[in-house]
Amino acid sequence: MKIAVLSGKGGTGKTTVSNNLAINIKNTILIDTDVEEPNSHIFLKPDIEKIDSVFIGYPEVDMNKCNLCGKCGEFCRFNAIIPAKNSVVVFNESCHDCGGCAMVCPTNAITYKQREIGKIYSGKTKYDIDMKYGEINIGEMSGVRIIEEVKEKIKNEEIVIIDSPPGTACSTVAAVEGVDYAILVSEPTPFGVSDMKMVVEMLREMNIPFGLVINKAKLGDDEIYEYANNENIEILAEIPFNKEIAKLYANGELFSIHLKEYKEIFENIYSQILSKL
Amino acid sequence: MKIAVSAKEVGLNGKIDDRFGRAEYYVIFDTETKEVKTVENSAKNESAGAGGKAVKVLGDENVNIILAPEVGPKAITALKAFEIEAYLYAGMGLNTVEDAINAFNEGKLIKANNATVEEHSGLRKA
Repeated sequence: MKIAVLSGKGGTGKTTVSNNLAINIKNTILIDTDVEEPNSHIFLKPDIEKIDSVFIGYPEVDMNKCNLCGKCGEFCRFNAIIPAKNSVVVFNESCHDCGGCAMVCPTNAITYKQREIGKIYSGKTKYDIDMKYGEINIGEMSGVRIIEEVKEKIKNEEIVIIDSPPGTACSTVAAVEGVDYAILVSEPTPFGVSDMKMVVEMLREMNIPFGLVINKAKLGDDEIYEYANNENIEILAEIPFNKEIAKLYANGELFSIHLKEYKEIFENIYSQILSKL
Repeated sequence: MKIAVSAKEVGLNGKIDDRFGRAEYYVIFDTETKEVKTVENSAKNESAGAGGKAVKVLGDENVNIILAPEVGPKAITALKAFEIEAYLYAGMGLNTVEDAINAFNEGKLIKANNATVEEHSGLRKA
């Protein structure tokens, strides 16, 4: 079973929810797909046993075969390949490795080379669950390939918690694609609610069942409750806005370990999800 | 020789643009025939890689020299491949396309051999 944890804006508590949830469910693996800035490993403190490189292709043009017809450049949406006077300019880092330029090339002048765009780290956490996280190399444009490869490394029988990237861009879609359930984490502030609405739209578009966890509850106003009520979105749990929780977070600690009274919140979230699937 | 100027408006009296890859127009002046042609920059709304594509627009017009505010790293790479030279007018207080061409003719503009600005984001970094 795969459960994605996501949010509209950053800093609402995806990592807090996904990590606390993972350590309170038996036989879980957590994957952090926020490859631009993974941070679950700060809390779960894994011993990294394996590091895999993730590669992406980019076109190489054989100028002995190329007749500078321009078809590759017309095809590429990202302007990663531009036929010029006597040569073809390739911007490797803009290439999404879609394979289109080679397909439209009438002279078979294009082949693909591989380069590393990031890494996947796998290890056992100090909480006796496994985790994996992807990390994109600085300067790279898209982490989608890394996210897809992290997900491919998961076995079907595992219970997987996916700490997703914030927002609704390609990387979030890649992280959420194919999950059984999504937990939307939001804070009850105007920005939190506004950004959350886009995620609700995305999840509905993708036909993924979801519920809401309100983090930093009682911090802002009531808009989130009204919205959830009007939209028929179930509130799975509320995590209070609480100094002790914030302090533990700041120290890189998972609060449900130290504040036992909150352990129940995460056990409840999981049993509610199970009852729906 | 064809000189293209990054412009906000059409014609020699048009205002110069303070962007290269996402300029509205390029005003192209042919030094031999004295002909003036304005082309729309079809790269200006690209989500990514506008600079490189803009150079292609100019390459297709057989431009030899461009006058631009500044140029980014991708534009420089593409300019070299199209054998187009770039001269820069940022910070010179120029106003119209004609001003830029005059400044170039008087040798006041500096040739860009390398990118003078960091990669821009456009709508997304590419």
